[in-house]
Amino acid sequence: MSFSLNEVEATAKRATRGAGYAWGVAEEAAKATRWLCAQGLDGVTELSRLLEHGFASSIGDHVPADLQDEWTGASVLCPLMTGALLSDRSDLLQSGSIRIRHLASPLLLLPFTAYAAHSKSAIVTISSGDFSAVTDGVQLSLKNKYPSQVDLIEVALGGSLANPIAQHTRATPDLAAWKALNRLAHRTFAPATEESRMLGAGAGLSDND
Amino acid sequence: MSSTNPNIERRDPAMVMRLSRLGSLHQCRLSFMRQLTRRMAAEQWEFSRPVFDIDHKGVGHAVYSVQGPDHTYSLVAFAHDLPPDQRSDRVIAEAWDATFTLFDGVPTADDIERLSQNVPLQEAGRVSESELSLSRANRSVRLWAHVVDRLAAGQQPDLAPIYKVGYLMRTTAVYGSGKFGAADREKIADRPETNGPFQAEMLSVYLTRIFVRDLVQHMAAAKGGSQTAQLDPRIARWLGIGNSTGLGMAPFIVNHPILFNNWIMVREEAIARVRSLETASDVEVTQFRNVFERSKLSISWWQSEHPIQIEKLTALNTDLRAISTFLDKTDLAENQPWDRLILWSQTALSEEGQELLASLILEPYGDLVDGLSSCMADGNSSAFAINGTMSVENVRDQIRSSFGWAIEMDWDSSEHCARAWYVSEEKLEPRLGERFDEPIAEYEQPLAPARDAALAYKALADWSDEAPIAEFLLRHPEHRHTVRRAQMSSVAPYGEIRDNTIGASVLPIDMLRAKLSFFGATHFDPRSDRWVRICMYAGAPYPEDLTSETADLWVYPELSQ
Repeated sequence: MSFSLNEVEATAKRATRGAGYAWGVAEEAAKATRWLCAQGLDGVTELSRLLEHGFASSIGDHVPADLQDEWTGASVLCPLMTGALLSDRSDLLQSGSIRIRHLASPLLLLPFTAYAAHSKSAIVTISSGDFSAVTDGVQLSLKNKYPSQVDLIEVALGGSLANPIAQHTRATPDLAAWKALNRLAHRTFAPATEESRMLGAGAGLSDND
Repeated sequence: MSSTNPNIERRDPAMVMRLSRLGSLHQCRLSFMRQLTRRMAAEQWEFSRPVFDIDHKGVGHAVYSVQGPDHTYSLVAFAHDLPPDQRSDRVIAEAWDATFTLFDGVPTADDIERLSQNVPLQEAGRVSESELSLSRANRSVRLWAHVVDRLAAGQQPDLAPIYKVGYLMRTTAVYGSGKFGAADREKIADRPETNGPFQAEMLSVYLTRIFVRDLVQHMAAAKGGSQTAQLDPRIARWLGIGNSTGLGMAPFIVNHPILFNNWIMVREEAIARVRSLETASDVEVTQFRNVFERSKLSISWWQSEHPIQIEKLTALNTDLRAISTFLDKTDLAENQPWDRLILWSQTALSEEGQELLASLILEPYGDLVDGLSSCMADGNSSAFAINGTMSVENVRDQIRSSFGWAIEMDWDSSEHCARAWYVSEEKLEPRLGERFDEPIAEYEQPLAPARDAALAYKALADWSDEAPIAEFLLRHPEHRHTVRRAQMSSVAPYGEIRDNTIGASVLPIDMLRAKLSFFGATHFDPRSDRWVRICMYAGAPYPEDLTSETADLWVYPELSQ
């Protein structure tokens, strides 16, 4: 079954919130997951794997401690928070590459490098070992398989967009991951009560007129 | 040709974006329905009905296709035999008199078969990238029976109940933009005819109106046989399509600040342009006076049983008399006549009357105004990204520009945070609850930008003015959505509602009306403080009468009728 990218975005946002992240971070996760799916990558599975880590309850341990030299935190870095920081401070790329230590689900960093590329009107490359990805903000080319976690990943301006991936208008995520996101999303829904049905939605008058 | 004086600026967002004023907005020539009818006429879109396969009980399906310059769109309609006890406008309903989808192209038999398994189920079904919208409608039981019975008896229906009710069928949700598997907006956003907001949805409702006219004729014939009368086109014209809208629409305008800004800002720009005109020609003044008289007739048909709207209508009718008196003694030819009129309205009229006039002065000036409609879509996806280099001081300024009034409020007091927006697990619909009476606070949606702005502002107090906001956000991700909105406000000054959306006295119907007025809806009839019925396309020409002469001012009834 295929899903619209809008459905992916809405579900990812709710799931990230359901996993305990702030709404503004959930918005980032939603756009990032959508962006990956638009590249034909399974952003849903990546987000689902990340949310399983449960970083949100101790998020301060999973963000870069400061912006000096290498970005590193008290524990494994969360790609949503680290990616958001990268997007917020894409200006730093102009004075050199950014090296990030111990990052979970590095695929989720890609959309944020795309925002950085877009805002700088530049090409940005991220690389870790023999894996690399190049984007101009819209298009993406990948080299070798992306790892599930990296000890060191480097983000830098420059690179060449060879054989970019075809853009997709639908998402066909792994259904188990899709269900996992929906389970998390469900945590954001208030249980239905008759009171809510009557008061919350403002019913009362007959519609059979 | 009139010259424009740049001195008249757009109205202050602090005035325009109050909820009571947003809840008093009226349709205008920038409204989405009118954009569509003007385009369909100008481009001479061709309409056809390739399928009408409906039995004597009213069960079956029909297809209505419309061909524009580059694309064809088809409404696929399924008609059902609905037991009266299941007829509910609420989103929790599970069956309807009719269900619809707007198909991108012309559906094959296989498409129809697939859609027949899904469209009647609405939220419980799935549609595909070939479908652009999903919707449903219920009959207005009394008017439906009246029209069927009269036609079947060889007579015409009475106009009085048609004016009063306004429609034979009332839609509820009209889903678009990727909902339930439908195509994302991006699929059609680059097409000229669907670049504007909600044009696919407006088209689906326009085609739905044709279907409903055909269906009522069909049902009358099934009952009356050879003696059945053909519905008089002059009567059919006043049959619009109703819509019953609940809380789902209210979060939309909060969740899309750039888009909402573009609608409001375009209307404000149009108002400012017209107010800046030094003079008005006889033709322009006559057209304005004529449209005002016609709008009075439309408003005379506007009825509501809801105390709030009754009061607003009383005020509006007082306003109409005041406007008439003022216009009788006022020469509109010179001295910035439209600016004079607007300035007078601000001293003499309720917000209903002020906003009616602000919409009406645009009518003689299609050349000056209509081109702005191309600026109403949200093409600024890059506004999502936060500029983390911005200083804390700048962000504080941005927060103050939209929410200065909110910063000193006591957000812990129950009156200011009495309500909470949440999503019910039942059909995933947004609802508004009582924070202190119901177990909903932990499910609260971020739909209180004013409170959240005040909280962020408070948290920023401990940070140095020069610090880049990214550093603050790294430590305080809970304020990320607020900082994003604050930065958006510099490009979207009309993006924020300047009122409390969770206070004890908030009226969600104000948010609904603001959105629906841009659709071009009329006859707002609140059924409670959180859902409203409206009328769409009443008076609009059907395809056989759609010309550039009829495509625009149909919303104002002709006095001769």
